[in-house]
Amino acid sequence: MPVLNVHGATVSYGGRAVVRGVDLAVAPGEAVALMGANGSGKSTLIKAVAGLVPLASGAIELFDTPQKRFRQWRRIGYVPQRTGAASGVPSTAAEVVSQGRLAHRLLGMPARRADRTAVTRSLAEVGLQHHAHCAVDTLSGGQQQRVLIARALATDPELLIMDEPTVGVDAETQAALAAVVAARVDAGCAVLLVTHELGPLTDRLDRAVVLADGRVVHDGEPPRPVGEHADPDHQHAHPHPSPDPHPGPDGAAPRITFGTNKGGHGADEFWSGK
Amino acid sequence: MNDPTLLQYFEFEFVQRALISALVVGLCAPAVGVFLVQKRLALIGDGLGHIALTGVAIGFLTGTAPLWTTLAVTVAASIVMELLRSHSKTSGDVALAMMFYGGIAGGVYLTGIASDKGVANLQQYLFGSLLTASWNEVWTIVAGGAVVAALMLVLRPWLTAICADEQYARVSGLPVASLNLLLLITTAVTVSVSMRAVGLLLVSALLVIPVVTVQQFTRSFKATMFSAMGAGFLIAGAGVIASAAKDVPPGSTIVLLGVAAFVATAAVAAVVGRVRRTRRGHLPPEGEPLEVELPASSA
Repeated sequence: MPVLNVHGATVSYGGRAVVRGVDLAVAPGEAVALMGANGSGKSTLIKAVAGLVPLASGAIELFDTPQKRFRQWRRIGYVPQRTGAASGVPSTAAEVVSQGRLAHRLLGMPARRADRTAVTRSLAEVGLQHHAHCAVDTLSGGQQQRVLIARALATDPELLIMDEPTVGVDAETQAALAAVVAARVDAGCAVLLVTHELGPLTDRLDRAVVLADGRVVHDGEPPRPVGEHADPDHQHAHPHPSPDPHPGPDGAAPRITFGTNKGGHGADEFWSGK
Repeated sequence: MNDPTLLQYFEFEFVQRALISALVVGLCAPAVGVFLVQKRLALIGDGLGHIALTGVAIGFLTGTAPLWTTLAVTVAASIVMELLRSHSKTSGDVALAMMFYGGIAGGVYLTGIASDKGVANLQQYLFGSLLTASWNEVWTIVAGGAVVAALMLVLRPWLTAICADEQYARVSGLPVASLNLLLLITTAVTVSVSMRAVGLLLVSALLVIPVVTVQQFTRSFKATMFSAMGAGFLIAGAGVIASAAKDVPPGSTIVLLGVAAFVATAAVAAVVGRVRRTRRGHLPPEGEPLEVELPASSA
Protein backbone atom coordinates (compact mmCIF):
# COMPACT_ATOMS: atom_id res chain seq x y z
CA MET A 1 0.00 0.00 0.00
CA PRO A 2 1.73 3.14 -1.25
CA VAL A 3 1.78 6.31 0.85
CA LEU A 4 1.04 8.28 -2.30
CA ASN A 5 -0.79 7.12 -5.38
CA VAL A 6 -1.50 9.39 -8.33
CA HIS A 7 -3.66 8.11 -11.21
CA GLY A 8 -3.88 9.99 -14.47
CA ALA A 9 -3.53 13.38 -12.83
CA THR A 10 -4.19 16.33 -15.10
CA VAL A 11 -3.83 19.91 -13.92
CA SER A 12 -4.59 22.90 -16.08
CA TYR A 13 -4.04 26.59 -15.55
CA GLY A 14 -6.62 28.62 -17.44
CA GLY A 15 -7.38 25.84 -19.95
CA ARG A 16 -3.72 24.97 -20.62
CA ALA A 17 -2.81 21.50 -19.35
CA VAL A 18 0.44 21.72 -17.38
CA VAL A 19 0.37 18.17 -16.04
CA ARG A 20 -1.16 15.56 -18.38
CA GLY A 21 -2.26 12.18 -17.17
CA VAL A 22 0.58 11.51 -14.75
CA ASP A 23 0.74 8.24 -12.77
CA LEU A 24 3.00 8.21 -9.76
CA ALA A 25 3.27 5.97 -6.72
CA VAL A 26 5.52 6.30 -3.70
CA ALA A 27 5.90 3.29 -1.39
CA PRO A 28 6.50 3.64 2.36
CA GLY A 29 10.13 4.48 3.05
CA GLU A 30 10.88 5.12 -0.61
CA ALA A 31 12.84 8.18 -1.75
CA VAL A 32 11.67 9.46 -5.12
CA ALA A 33 12.85 12.50 -7.05
CA LEU A 34 10.63 14.34 -9.47
CA MET A 35 12.87 15.85 -12.09
CA GLY A 36 12.55 17.80 -15.29
CA ALA A 37 13.31 21.11 -16.89
CA ASN A 38 11.65 24.39 -15.93
CA GLY A 39 8.01 24.33 -17.02
CA SER A 40 7.84 20.54 -17.18
CA GLY A 41 5.08 20.54 -14.57
CA LYS A 42 6.95 19.05 -11.62
CA SER A 43 6.14 21.84 -9.17
CA THR A 44 2.51 21.88 -10.29
CA LEU A 45 2.23 18.13 -9.78
CA ILE A 46 3.62 18.42 -6.28
CA LYS A 47 1.22 21.26 -5.46
CA ALA A 48 -1.63 19.07 -6.64
CA VAL A 49 -0.40 16.28 -4.36
CA ALA A 50 -0.28 18.76 -1.46
CA GLY A 51 -3.83 19.87 -2.28
CA LEU A 52 -2.84 23.41 -3.25
CA VAL A 53 -4.07 23.23 -6.85
CA PRO A 54 -7.16 21.28 -7.95
CA LEU A 55 -7.02 18.37 -10.38
CA ALA A 56 -8.81 18.75 -13.71
CA SER A 57 -9.08 14.97 -13.89
CA GLY A 58 -7.53 11.91 -12.31
CA ALA A 59 -7.23 10.95 -8.67
CA ILE A 60 -4.77 11.31 -5.82
CA GLU A 61 -4.71 8.98 -2.84
CA LEU A 62 -2.71 9.73 0.29
CA PHE A 63 -2.22 6.82 2.70
CA ASP A 64 -4.98 4.90 0.87
CA THR A 65 -7.48 7.72 1.37
CA PRO A 66 -8.81 9.84 -1.50
CA GLN A 67 -7.27 13.30 -1.13
CA LYS A 68 -10.67 14.99 -0.69
CA ARG A 69 -11.39 12.90 2.39
CA PHE A 70 -7.81 12.90 3.70
CA ARG A 71 -7.59 14.60 7.11
CA GLN A 72 -4.33 13.30 8.60
CA TRP A 73 -2.18 16.05 7.12
CA ARG A 74 0.13 15.78 10.13
CA ARG A 75 1.57 12.65 8.49
CA ILE A 76 2.92 14.86 5.69
CA GLY A 77 5.85 17.24 5.98
CA TYR A 78 5.91 19.93 3.32
CA VAL A 79 8.75 22.23 2.30
CA PRO A 80 7.35 24.84 -0.09
CA GLN A 81 9.30 26.27 -2.98
CA ARG A 82 10.28 29.74 -1.90
CA THR A 83 13.17 31.90 -0.98
CA GLY A 84 13.29 32.80 2.66
CA ALA A 85 11.23 32.14 5.74
CA ALA A 86 10.79 35.78 6.76
CA SER A 87 7.45 37.61 6.68
CA GLY A 88 5.90 40.91 7.76
CA VAL A 89 6.47 40.62 11.51
CA PRO A 90 9.69 39.29 13.06
CA SER A 91 9.53 35.64 14.11
CA THR A 92 12.18 33.45 15.67
CA ALA A 93 13.36 30.22 14.07
CA ALA A 94 11.69 28.27 16.89
CA GLU A 95 8.38 30.03 16.23
CA VAL A 96 8.50 29.16 12.52
CA VAL A 97 9.42 25.53 13.25
CA SER A 98 6.63 25.22 15.83
CA GLN A 99 4.12 25.86 13.00
CA GLY A 100 4.97 22.30 12.03
CA ARG A 101 3.39 21.07 15.27
CA LEU A 102 0.06 22.89 14.95
CA ALA A 103 -1.53 19.95 13.14
CA HIS A 104 -0.84 17.90 16.28
CA ARG A 105 -2.51 20.41 18.60
CA LEU A 106 -6.19 21.05 19.21
CA LEU A 107 -7.24 24.54 18.16
CA GLY A 108 -6.61 26.93 21.05
CA MET A 109 -4.74 24.44 23.25
CA PRO A 110 -1.23 25.23 24.51
CA ALA A 111 1.83 23.33 23.27
CA ARG A 112 2.63 20.11 25.13
CA ARG A 113 6.02 18.75 26.05
CA ALA A 114 6.10 16.52 22.95
CA ASP A 115 5.55 19.57 20.74
CA ARG A 116 8.40 21.48 22.34
CA THR A 117 10.80 18.51 22.12
CA ALA A 118 9.94 18.00 18.46
CA VAL A 119 10.76 21.65 17.72
CA THR A 120 14.09 21.52 19.59
CA ARG A 121 15.00 18.20 17.98
CA SER A 122 14.22 19.34 14.41
CA LEU A 123 16.23 22.53 14.85
CA ALA A 124 19.15 20.43 16.12
CA GLU A 125 18.82 18.05 13.16
CA VAL A 126 19.41 20.86 10.68
CA GLY A 127 22.18 22.29 12.87
CA LEU A 128 20.36 25.41 14.02
CA GLN A 129 19.99 24.58 17.72
CA HIS A 130 21.93 27.72 18.65
CA HIS A 131 19.77 29.89 16.40
CA ALA A 132 16.38 28.93 17.88
CA HIS A 133 15.77 32.40 19.27
CA CYS A 134 17.18 34.37 16.36
CA ALA A 135 14.81 36.30 14.11
CA VAL A 136 14.60 34.39 10.83
CA ASP A 137 15.10 37.53 8.75
CA THR A 138 18.60 37.88 10.23
CA LEU A 139 19.56 34.36 9.08
CA SER A 140 21.20 33.70 5.73
CA GLY A 141 19.19 32.30 2.82
CA GLY A 142 20.61 28.82 3.39
CA GLN A 143 19.81 28.94 7.10
CA GLN A 144 16.23 30.10 6.35
CA GLN A 145 15.86 27.13 4.03
CA ARG A 146 17.05 24.88 6.86
CA VAL A 147 14.41 26.43 9.13
CA LEU A 148 11.71 25.50 6.60
CA ILE A 149 13.03 21.94 6.40
CA ALA A 150 13.10 21.72 10.21
CA ARG A 151 9.46 22.84 10.23
CA ALA A 152 8.55 19.96 7.93
CA LEU A 153 10.55 17.51 10.07
CA ALA A 154 8.88 18.73 13.29
CA THR A 155 5.58 17.16 12.29
CA ASP A 156 7.23 13.69 12.35
CA PRO A 157 6.17 13.00 8.78
CA GLU A 158 5.68 9.64 7.12
CA LEU A 159 5.86 11.38 3.75
CA LEU A 160 8.17 14.33 3.24
CA ILE A 161 7.33 16.49 0.23
CA MET A 162 10.03 18.98 -0.73
CA ASP A 163 9.80 21.42 -3.61
CA GLU A 164 13.34 22.39 -4.65
CA PRO A 165 14.61 22.60 -1.07
CA THR A 166 18.23 23.25 -2.01
CA VAL A 167 17.88 26.18 -4.39
CA GLY A 168 20.36 28.81 -3.30
CA VAL A 169 21.96 26.56 -0.69
CA ASP A 170 25.72 26.09 -0.77
CA ALA A 171 27.32 22.68 -1.38
CA GLU A 172 28.29 22.06 2.23
CA THR A 173 24.78 22.77 3.55
CA GLN A 174 23.29 20.61 0.80
CA ALA A 175 25.43 17.70 1.97
CA ALA A 176 24.34 18.27 5.60
CA LEU A 177 20.67 18.41 4.58
CA ALA A 178 21.09 15.27 2.51
CA ALA A 179 22.34 13.48 5.63
CA VAL A 180 19.31 14.70 7.61
CA VAL A 181 16.90 13.50 4.93
CA ALA A 182 18.76 10.20 4.52
CA ALA A 183 18.43 9.58 8.26
CA ARG A 184 14.67 10.09 8.00
CA VAL A 185 14.49 7.77 4.97
CA ASP A 186 16.38 5.12 6.91
CA ALA A 187 13.87 5.54 9.72
CA GLY A 188 11.08 4.71 7.27
CA CYS A 189 9.92 8.11 6.05
CA ALA A 190 9.02 8.32 2.36
CA VAL A 191 10.37 11.29 0.43
CA LEU A 192 9.09 13.00 -2.70
CA LEU A 193 11.60 15.57 -3.82
CA VAL A 194 11.34 18.05 -6.66
CA THR A 195 14.69 19.06 -8.02
CA HIS A 196 16.25 19.95 -11.31
CA GLU A 197 19.82 19.37 -10.39
CA LEU A 198 21.84 16.43 -9.18
CA GLY A 199 23.43 16.93 -5.83
CA PRO A 200 24.01 15.33 -2.45
CA LEU A 201 20.25 15.07 -1.93
CA THR A 202 19.78 12.88 -4.99
CA ASP A 203 22.46 10.37 -3.96
CA ARG A 204 20.16 8.53 -1.58
CA LEU A 205 17.30 8.17 -4.07
CA ASP A 206 15.56 4.92 -4.84
CA ARG A 207 13.86 6.17 -7.97
CA ALA A 208 13.55 9.17 -10.21
CA VAL A 209 10.51 10.25 -12.19
CA VAL A 210 11.30 12.62 -15.02
CA LEU A 211 8.61 14.88 -16.44
CA ALA A 212 8.75 16.63 -19.77
CA ASP A 213 5.93 18.80 -21.00
CA GLY A 214 3.62 17.50 -18.28
CA ARG A 215 4.13 13.79 -19.02
CA VAL A 216 6.26 11.12 -17.39
CA VAL A 217 9.16 10.31 -19.72
CA HIS A 218 11.16 8.22 -17.30
CA ASP A 219 10.30 6.29 -14.15
CA GLY A 220 13.05 4.16 -12.71
CA GLU A 221 16.66 4.27 -11.72
CA PRO A 222 17.84 7.75 -10.72
CA PRO A 223 20.26 9.51 -13.03
CA ARG A 224 23.88 9.33 -11.96
CA PRO A 225 26.51 11.85 -12.86
CA VAL A 226 29.08 10.48 -15.30
CA GLY A 227 32.65 11.28 -16.20
CA GLU A 228 34.51 13.65 -13.96
CA HIS A 229 31.21 14.71 -12.39
CA ALA A 230 31.03 11.28 -10.76
CA ASP A 231 34.23 12.03 -8.88
CA PRO A 232 33.19 12.82 -5.28
CA ASP A 233 35.87 15.50 -5.14
CA HIS A 234 34.61 17.21 -8.24
CA GLN A 235 33.34 20.67 -7.55
CA HIS A 236 30.76 21.70 -10.02
CA ALA A 237 32.09 25.18 -10.54
CA HIS A 238 33.90 26.63 -13.45
CA PRO A 239 36.61 29.00 -12.30
CA HIS A 240 36.74 30.78 -15.65
CA PRO A 241 34.41 31.21 -18.62
CA SER A 242 34.66 28.29 -20.99
CA PRO A 243 36.98 28.97 -23.93
CA ASP A 244 34.62 26.89 -26.05
CA PRO A 245 30.98 27.82 -25.44
CA HIS A 246 29.77 24.67 -27.19
CA PRO A 247 31.91 21.88 -25.78
CA GLY A 248 32.13 18.63 -27.65
CA PRO A 249 30.99 15.31 -26.20
CA ASP A 250 34.17 14.99 -24.16
CA GLY A 251 33.95 18.51 -22.77
CA ALA A 252 33.06 19.49 -19.22
CA ALA A 253 29.32 19.79 -19.86
CA PRO A 254 27.31 17.48 -17.56
CA ARG A 255 26.07 14.33 -19.23
CA ILE A 256 23.32 12.37 -17.60
CA THR A 257 22.24 8.89 -18.54
CA PHE A 258 19.01 7.35 -17.41
CA GLY A 259 19.86 3.68 -16.88
CA THR A 260 16.64 1.99 -17.96
CA ASN A 261 15.81 4.27 -20.84
CA LYS A 262 15.24 2.38 -24.04
CA GLY A 263 15.00 3.42 -27.65
CA GLY A 264 17.88 5.84 -27.48
CA HIS A 265 15.93 8.62 -25.76
CA GLY A 266 19.02 9.86 -24.00
CA ALA A 267 19.11 12.55 -21.41
CA ASP A 268 20.89 14.90 -23.73
CA GLU A 269 17.95 14.82 -26.08
CA PHE A 270 15.56 15.26 -23.16
CA TRP A 271 17.36 18.24 -21.67
CA SER A 272 17.64 19.84 -25.09
CA GLY A 273 13.87 19.64 -25.32
CA LYS A 274 13.44 16.95 -27.98
CA MET B 1 -5.36 81.20 34.69
CA ASN B 2 -7.23 78.67 36.72
CA ASP B 3 -6.25 75.83 34.39
CA PRO B 4 -6.89 72.54 36.18
CA THR B 5 -3.77 70.46 36.78
CA LEU B 6 -3.42 67.06 35.16
CA LEU B 7 -4.69 65.17 38.20
CA GLN B 8 -7.83 67.28 38.42
CA TYR B 9 -8.84 66.10 34.95
CA PHE B 10 -9.42 62.64 36.28
CA GLU B 11 -12.14 63.95 38.55
CA PHE B 12 -14.29 64.66 35.50
CA GLU B 13 -16.37 61.63 34.69
CA PHE B 14 -16.17 62.29 30.93
CA VAL B 15 -12.38 62.15 31.11
CA GLN B 16 -12.55 58.86 33.02
CA ARG B 17 -14.87 57.40 30.41
CA ALA B 18 -12.66 58.63 27.57
CA LEU B 19 -9.55 57.27 29.23
CA ILE B 20 -11.03 53.81 29.90
CA SER B 21 -12.28 53.37 26.34
CA ALA B 22 -9.08 54.67 24.76
CA LEU B 23 -6.92 52.41 26.93
CA VAL B 24 -9.01 49.35 26.03
CA VAL B 25 -8.84 50.16 22.32
CA GLY B 26 -5.13 50.91 22.57
CA LEU B 27 -4.54 47.54 24.20
CA CYS B 28 -6.71 45.42 21.91
CA ALA B 29 -6.31 46.97 18.46
CA PRO B 30 -2.60 46.04 18.10
CA ALA B 31 -3.42 42.44 19.13
CA VAL B 32 -5.42 42.20 15.90
CA GLY B 33 -3.14 44.51 13.93
CA VAL B 34 -0.06 42.35 14.43
CA PHE B 35 -1.66 39.60 12.33
CA LEU B 36 -2.76 42.08 9.68
CA VAL B 37 0.79 43.43 9.40
CA GLN B 38 2.09 39.85 9.20
CA LYS B 39 -0.40 39.13 6.40
CA ARG B 40 0.62 42.39 4.67
CA LEU B 41 -2.96 43.64 4.92
CA ALA B 42 -2.15 46.68 7.05
CA LEU B 43 -4.68 48.86 5.23
CA ILE B 44 -7.63 46.52 5.73
CA GLY B 45 -8.56 48.40 8.91
CA ASP B 46 -8.82 51.58 6.88
CA GLY B 47 -10.93 49.80 4.26
CA LEU B 48 -13.32 48.53 6.90
CA GLY B 49 -13.32 52.03 8.43
CA HIS B 50 -14.62 53.42 5.14
CA ILE B 51 -17.25 50.69 4.94
CA ALA B 52 -18.24 51.50 8.52
CA LEU B 53 -19.30 54.96 7.31
CA THR B 54 -22.11 53.30 5.39
CA GLY B 55 -23.00 51.46 8.59
CA VAL B 56 -23.14 54.70 10.57
CA ALA B 57 -25.35 56.28 7.90
CA ILE B 58 -27.71 53.30 8.02
CA GLY B 59 -27.89 53.84 11.77
CA PHE B 60 -28.89 57.48 11.23
CA LEU B 61 -31.46 56.47 8.64
CA THR B 62 -33.12 53.77 10.70
CA GLY B 63 -32.73 55.46 14.06
CA THR B 64 -30.87 52.48 15.59
CA ALA B 65 -27.62 52.90 17.49
CA PRO B 66 -24.86 53.32 14.86
CA LEU B 67 -22.60 50.89 16.75
CA TRP B 68 -24.80 47.91 15.88
CA THR B 69 -25.50 48.87 12.26
CA THR B 70 -21.77 49.51 11.79
CA LEU B 71 -20.94 46.14 13.26
CA ALA B 72 -23.40 44.39 10.93
CA VAL B 73 -22.18 46.23 7.83
CA THR B 74 -18.46 45.76 8.50
CA VAL B 75 -18.83 42.07 9.36
CA ALA B 76 -20.85 41.54 6.17
CA ALA B 77 -18.23 43.46 4.17
CA SER B 78 -15.38 41.41 5.59
CA ILE B 79 -17.14 38.16 4.67
CA VAL B 80 -17.70 39.42 1.11
CA MET B 81 -14.09 40.56 0.92
CA GLU B 82 -12.75 37.17 2.06
CA LEU B 83 -14.99 35.32 -0.40
CA LEU B 84 -13.85 37.60 -3.21
CA ARG B 85 -10.21 37.09 -2.26
CA SER B 86 -10.38 33.31 -2.01
CA HIS B 87 -12.89 32.40 -4.72
CA SER B 88 -12.30 34.87 -7.53
CA LYS B 89 -9.40 36.45 -9.31
CA THR B 90 -9.90 39.71 -7.40
CA SER B 91 -6.65 40.51 -5.64
CA GLY B 92 -6.53 41.79 -2.08
CA ASP B 93 -5.75 45.38 -3.05
CA VAL B 94 -8.49 45.57 -5.69
CA ALA B 95 -11.03 44.36 -3.11
CA LEU B 96 -9.60 46.95 -0.73
CA ALA B 97 -9.97 49.73 -3.31
CA MET B 98 -13.62 48.77 -3.83
CA MET B 99 -14.18 49.00 -0.07
CA PHE B 100 -12.68 52.49 0.08
CA TYR B 101 -14.81 53.87 -2.75
CA GLY B 102 -18.01 52.00 -1.99
CA GLY B 103 -17.87 52.67 1.74
CA ILE B 104 -17.40 56.44 1.44
CA ALA B 105 -19.98 56.75 -1.35
CA GLY B 106 -22.53 54.68 0.57
CA GLY B 107 -21.99 56.72 3.72
CA VAL B 108 -22.34 60.09 1.98
CA TYR B 109 -25.33 58.93 -0.09
CA LEU B 110 -27.26 57.57 2.88
CA THR B 111 -26.47 60.55 5.13
CA GLY B 112 -27.70 62.70 2.26
CA ILE B 113 -31.07 60.93 2.49
CA ALA B 114 -31.09 61.31 6.27
CA SER B 115 -29.93 64.91 5.99
CA ASP B 116 -32.05 66.20 8.87
CA LYS B 117 -29.73 64.29 11.26
CA GLY B 118 -26.94 66.70 10.34
CA VAL B 119 -23.42 66.38 9.02
CA ALA B 120 -21.84 67.34 12.34
CA ASN B 121 -23.20 64.06 13.60
CA LEU B 122 -21.26 62.10 10.97
CA GLN B 123 -18.12 64.01 11.84
CA GLN B 124 -18.06 62.57 15.36
CA TYR B 125 -17.77 59.07 13.88
CA LEU B 126 -15.24 60.10 11.28
CA PHE B 127 -12.80 61.56 13.76
CA GLY B 128 -13.95 60.17 17.09
CA SER B 129 -15.65 61.87 20.01
CA LEU B 130 -14.49 60.00 23.06
CA LEU B 131 -15.40 62.85 25.37
CA THR B 132 -19.13 62.53 24.70
CA ALA B 133 -19.33 58.77 25.18
CA SER B 134 -21.82 57.41 27.73
CA TRP B 135 -21.04 54.75 30.31
CA ASN B 136 -23.04 52.25 28.25
CA GLU B 137 -20.81 52.83 25.27
CA VAL B 138 -17.74 52.48 27.46
CA TRP B 139 -18.87 49.06 28.71
CA THR B 140 -19.57 47.93 25.14
CA ILE B 141 -16.01 48.88 24.22
CA VAL B 142 -14.62 47.02 27.25
CA ALA B 143 -16.64 43.88 26.51
CA GLY B 144 -15.80 43.92 22.79
CA GLY B 145 -12.13 44.54 23.51
CA ALA B 146 -11.95 41.69 26.00
CA VAL B 147 -13.45 39.21 23.52
CA VAL B 148 -11.14 40.36 20.72
CA ALA B 149 -7.98 40.24 22.84
CA ALA B 150 -8.84 36.84 24.33
CA LEU B 151 -9.45 35.32 20.87
CA MET B 152 -6.24 36.71 19.45
CA LEU B 153 -4.13 35.59 22.40
CA VAL B 154 -5.52 32.05 22.48
CA LEU B 155 -5.33 31.52 18.71
CA ARG B 156 -1.97 33.25 18.25
CA PRO B 157 0.03 30.24 16.92
CA TRP B 158 -2.68 29.29 14.41
CA LEU B 159 -3.27 32.83 13.19
CA THR B 160 0.49 33.39 12.87
CA ALA B 161 0.75 30.27 10.74
CA ILE B 162 -1.99 31.30 8.30
CA CYS B 163 -0.70 34.87 8.10
CA ALA B 164 2.96 33.97 7.61
CA ASP B 165 2.61 31.14 5.09
CA GLU B 166 -0.92 30.35 3.99
CA GLN B 167 0.11 27.55 1.62
CA TYR B 168 2.03 25.74 4.33
CA ALA B 169 -0.89 26.16 6.74
CA ARG B 170 -3.18 24.62 4.14
CA VAL B 171 -0.91 21.61 3.68
CA SER B 172 -0.72 21.12 7.46
CA GLY B 173 -4.49 20.74 7.40
CA LEU B 174 -5.32 23.88 9.41
CA PRO B 175 -8.81 25.36 8.91
CA VAL B 176 -7.34 28.21 6.86
CA ALA B 177 -10.60 29.58 5.44
CA SER B 178 -12.31 29.76 8.84
CA LEU B 179 -9.28 31.34 10.50
CA ASN B 180 -9.00 33.95 7.73
CA LEU B 181 -12.66 34.77 8.15
CA LEU B 182 -12.31 34.93 11.93
CA LEU B 183 -9.43 37.38 11.60
CA LEU B 184 -11.39 39.64 9.25
CA ILE B 185 -14.51 39.55 11.42
CA THR B 186 -12.41 40.37 14.48
CA THR B 187 -10.96 43.32 12.57
CA ALA B 188 -14.49 44.44 11.73
CA VAL B 189 -15.51 44.23 15.39
CA THR B 190 -12.41 46.17 16.44
CA VAL B 191 -13.10 48.91 13.90
CA SER B 192 -16.77 49.25 14.87
CA VAL B 193 -16.10 49.22 18.58
CA SER B 194 -13.19 51.63 18.48
CA MET B 195 -14.77 54.19 16.15
CA ARG B 196 -15.84 56.12 19.26
CA ALA B 197 -12.26 56.32 20.47
CA VAL B 198 -10.22 57.27 17.43
CA GLY B 199 -12.77 57.74 14.67
CA LEU B 200 -13.31 55.66 11.57
CA LEU B 201 -10.74 57.39 9.41
CA LEU B 202 -7.99 56.95 11.99
CA VAL B 203 -8.82 53.52 13.40
CA SER B 204 -6.35 51.78 11.11
CA ALA B 205 -3.58 53.74 12.82
CA LEU B 206 -4.10 52.05 16.19
CA LEU B 207 -4.12 48.65 14.50
CA VAL B 208 -0.83 49.25 12.73
CA ILE B 209 1.31 51.97 14.35
CA PRO B 210 2.05 50.21 17.68
CA VAL B 211 3.05 47.04 15.79
CA VAL B 212 5.41 48.69 13.31
CA THR B 213 6.85 50.81 16.11
CA VAL B 214 7.85 47.93 18.37
CA GLN B 215 8.83 45.44 15.66
CA GLN B 216 11.92 47.49 14.97
CA PHE B 217 13.29 46.15 18.22
CA THR B 218 11.73 42.71 18.63
CA ARG B 219 12.95 39.35 17.37
CA SER B 220 9.95 37.11 18.04
CA PHE B 221 6.30 37.30 17.08
CA LYS B 222 5.22 36.78 20.67
CA ALA B 223 7.32 39.68 21.94
CA THR B 224 6.07 41.86 19.07
CA MET B 225 2.46 41.12 19.95
CA PHE B 226 2.76 41.83 23.67
CA SER B 227 4.92 44.92 23.37
CA ALA B 228 2.66 46.31 20.62
CA MET B 229 -0.28 45.93 22.99
CA GLY B 230 1.72 47.77 25.65
CA ALA B 231 2.74 50.50 23.22
CA GLY B 232 -0.85 50.94 22.03
CA PHE B 233 -1.99 51.23 25.65
CA LEU B 234 0.58 53.95 26.39
CA ILE B 235 -0.02 55.88 23.17
CA ALA B 236 -3.81 55.86 23.62
CA GLY B 237 -3.57 56.89 27.29
CA ALA B 238 -1.11 59.70 26.59
CA GLY B 239 -3.25 60.84 23.66
CA VAL B 240 -6.42 61.17 25.74
CA ILE B 241 -4.65 63.10 28.50
CA ALA B 242 -3.01 65.43 25.98
CA SER B 243 -6.26 66.01 24.13
CA ALA B 244 -8.19 66.74 27.31
CA ALA B 245 -5.56 69.25 28.36
CA LYS B 246 -5.59 71.01 25.00
CA ASP B 247 -9.31 70.47 24.28
CA VAL B 248 -8.70 68.95 20.82
CA PRO B 249 -10.21 65.77 19.30
CA PRO B 250 -8.64 62.72 21.01
CA GLY B 251 -8.48 60.62 17.83
CA SER B 252 -6.10 62.92 16.04
CA THR B 253 -4.00 63.44 19.18
CA ILE B 254 -3.60 59.68 19.68
CA VAL B 255 -2.62 59.11 16.06
CA LEU B 256 -0.19 62.04 15.99
CA LEU B 257 1.47 60.70 19.13
CA GLY B 258 1.70 57.28 17.50
CA VAL B 259 3.29 58.66 14.34
CA ALA B 260 5.74 60.66 16.45
CA ALA B 261 6.59 57.52 18.43
CA PHE B 262 7.19 55.61 15.21
CA VAL B 263 9.46 58.27 13.71
CA ALA B 264 11.43 58.61 16.95
CA THR B 265 11.89 54.85 17.36
CA ALA B 266 12.82 54.44 13.70
CA ALA B 267 15.65 56.90 14.29
CA VAL B 268 16.71 55.07 17.47
CA ALA B 269 16.46 51.71 15.69
CA ALA B 270 18.82 52.92 12.98
CA VAL B 271 21.41 53.77 15.62
CA VAL B 272 20.82 50.56 17.60
CA GLY B 273 21.01 48.54 14.39
CA ARG B 274 24.42 49.98 13.68
CA VAL B 275 25.64 48.96 17.14
CA ARG B 276 24.08 45.50 16.87
CA ARG B 277 25.65 44.79 13.53
CA THR B 278 29.03 44.82 15.22
CA ARG B 279 27.86 42.73 18.21
CA ARG B 280 25.37 40.21 16.89
CA GLY B 281 23.22 38.07 19.17
CA HIS B 282 24.01 35.00 17.11
CA LEU B 283 26.87 33.81 14.95
CA PRO B 284 26.92 35.42 11.53
CA PRO B 285 26.05 32.98 8.73
CA GLU B 286 29.13 31.06 7.73
CA GLY B 287 30.25 32.02 4.25
CA GLU B 288 29.94 29.72 1.29
CA PRO B 289 33.20 27.83 0.75
CA LEU B 290 35.15 29.20 -2.14
CA GLU B 291 34.75 26.80 -5.04
CA VAL B 292 37.51 28.22 -7.17
CA GLU B 293 41.20 28.30 -6.67
CA LEU B 294 42.49 31.81 -6.45
CA PRO B 295 45.37 32.38 -8.84
CA ALA B 296 48.65 32.85 -7.01
CA SER B 297 49.52 36.49 -6.92
CA SER B 298 51.87 37.28 -9.76
CA ALA B 299 54.06 39.58 -7.72
